[in-house]
Amino acid sequence: MAAVATCGAGAGGTESMAAATSKSNVTSFQRRGPRARGTDSGGPRLVSIAGTRPSVRNGQLLVSTGLPALDQLLGGGLAVGTVLLVEEDKYSIYSPLLFKYFLAEGIINGHTLLVASAKEDPADILQELPAPLLDDSCKKEFDEDVCNKKPESDIKMKIAWRYQLSPKMEVGPVTSSRFGHYYDVSKRIPRELIETSKWHGFFLPEKMSSADKVECCSLTPGYMKLLHFIQNIIYEEGFDGSNPQKKQRNILRIGIQSLGLPLWGDDVCCSENCDSSHSLSKFLYILRGLLRTSLSACIITMPTHLIQNKAIIARVTNLSDTVVALESFVGSERETNPLYKDYHGLIHIRQIPRLNNLICDESDVKDLAFKLKRKLFTIEAEWTVRERDREKGLSFVVGSPSNDRHGRCTTLI
Amino acid sequence: MPSEGAAGCGRWSEMLESLLALGGLVLLRDSVEWEGRSFLKALIRKAALSGEQVRILGCEVSEEEFREGFDSDVNSRLVYHDLFRDPLNWSKTGEAPPGGPLGALRAMCKRTDPGPVTIAIDSLSWLLLRQPCTTVCQVLHALSHRTPCPGHSPAVEQVRVLGLLHEELHGPGPVGALSSLAQTEVTLGGTAGLDSAHIVFRRPRQRPTHQTQWFSILPDFSLDLQEGPRLECQPHPDPYTSPVDPTTHLTFNLRLSKKEKEARDGLTLPFQFSSEKQQALLRPGQGQAASHIFYEPDAYDDLDQEDPDDDLDV
Repeated sequence: MAAVATCGAGAGGTESMAAATSKSNVTSFQRRGPRARGTDSGGPRLVSIAGTRPSVRNGQLLVSTGLPALDQLLGGGLAVGTVLLVEEDKYSIYSPLLFKYFLAEGIINGHTLLVASAKEDPADILQELPAPLLDDSCKKEFDEDVCNKKPESDIKMKIAWRYQLSPKMEVGPVTSSRFGHYYDVSKRIPRELIETSKWHGFFLPEKMSSADKVECCSLTPGYMKLLHFIQNIIYEEGFDGSNPQKKQRNILRIGIQSLGLPLWGDDVCCSENCDSSHSLSKFLYILRGLLRTSLSACIITMPTHLIQNKAIIARVTNLSDTVVALESFVGSERETNPLYKDYHGLIHIRQIPRLNNLICDESDVKDLAFKLKRKLFTIEAEWTVRERDREKGLSFVVGSPSNDRHGRCTTLI
Repeated sequence: MPSEGAAGCGRWSEMLESLLALGGLVLLRDSVEWEGRSFLKALIRKAALSGEQVRILGCEVSEEEFREGFDSDVNSRLVYHDLFRDPLNWSKTGEAPPGGPLGALRAMCKRTDPGPVTIAIDSLSWLLLRQPCTTVCQVLHALSHRTPCPGHSPAVEQVRVLGLLHEELHGPGPVGALSSLAQTEVTLGGTAGLDSAHIVFRRPRQRPTHQTQWFSILPDFSLDLQEGPRLECQPHPDPYTSPVDPTTHLTFNLRLSKKEKEARDGLTLPFQFSSEKQQALLRPGQGQAASHIFYEPDAYDDLDQEDPDDDLDV
């Protein structure tokens, strides 16, 4: 695991890190009083990279996924050196949004981007990134949304006063946060931001000429080329510490769109007993090796609904670190279910990694639903009854069964 | 009558135009019961009549059979690549392009002049049975996302690929892979006497829209839109309506009047630490009646004023 600095034991080290990363004021440790300069120079200095922060649990270096709500669910953010796998929804409407949020966050923080796709030109993907919401305007946007929706949430809870202290899911922006930013999906990112940022694109049809049909070590040629490309970028730009860089160290954000599609030359989506059944697993294994030895984080979207062999999905999940699945209601019977009318789909956190740890930062909330509003992609907890009751259309039942004339909604089968 | 006919013509022309307008891959899925070649020919006719070039890769039927039914001006606009007669190029006449059928498709991709072009593949199933699915997908993607040639105008040229797929010949894998590539998907079906097309438009980054059209194809391959058949199905009970109002027969009051609300808000709750409570705790007994304990001893109670610990020598 790429460690940026050695931490002192426990709270002392974290406090110095909190002092050093003066840009971020979202950690739970706050400086009590002014420290003497002498004590700071005693311990090792932390090199702070823009857009990262150490995890409050174990000091792991985290980057934001672009969606602060998702960061919270993943335990603070995505750890540097890991893979975030997003299982695409059926018509691939919402997974590109997560992909774009990740890349936009990289541009805002000044990270280097590597965008790989077999379907769309990376330059086109970058043109469509959402515009960032700046601190002063985003509060205004939020007030519009929130005021229309829940006018009575301002009333303090009087009876359930104990729950005022429990953590809420953050929907609104944290003032002057440098770690997670908010984006406006209805606007495009300004061109000058893209032009000043550093990015590398990998568009498979351009890189593959029809001449080379070399099949080596059972890895599809498309995957092999992509791995070579990533390795070259990491080595040449010094993300793995090989060339001592004079300038500040930076994070490489890798985004791979729709891995596993037949356009990559992989027939894992086409048949159940495919010839290159180990190609995808090998690719992920080698990619993870490359990531672990460099300062990079990767997002991969994969259309797992097209993969015919379920064992491959299980292998892919095990080989990734963080796995998030999106399930949209479009085209399914849940679209008309009134219980789901406020949401566009469900989001499932399938796996969270245990990095240098015995436990992982699971969130307590398991039922999560997302909604794509006009400007925002929000993730909310869905406080409803169990799945079985949802399918039968039962809602909260109040009242005595004997008085119920219809007698339908009181028996649980 | 003429006005109805004109309106009917307008509607079918709109429908075909909407299918052709999106560009990209239009996937026609047919089956043994509802064949799709006539629909494909109707689309080709529409594209040819609007002045576009149409290139056809014919694999399953002969050229004469395919051109049958088209009138002469449509036929003159069709450029036919025949793979039916000699698919493996055994006669070695030199006409067939190198690379087999996929080479022919790639050649179509490169050779066309500027302007919208329609490529019809009859059929994709034939290609899928002879070539690996991944290669077919890659070629189709390259066809529908052709980058404009450097000498021509920078506007992206409209390339439309109409592919006929016999979905019963393939498993869910290839069909799913091709659906994910397609911008428009038309599934042919119907009931007795009437054909229907279930159309799914997958515009990029938008929710897919569904549409069902009933039609019949006339001998000259023009489309006649019909009303759907009378639906005589029983209205099935909607499982999600909850006709029961759960707020009836309650044992508590859900609706409070204004006075009741004020009274409720004025209550101090037992665990709330307000200033009055603080005062009461700091100065006990002031202005408050002291609480008394009333105790009535039973017959069995043993009220002994002695301290039982007195016996112990502590």
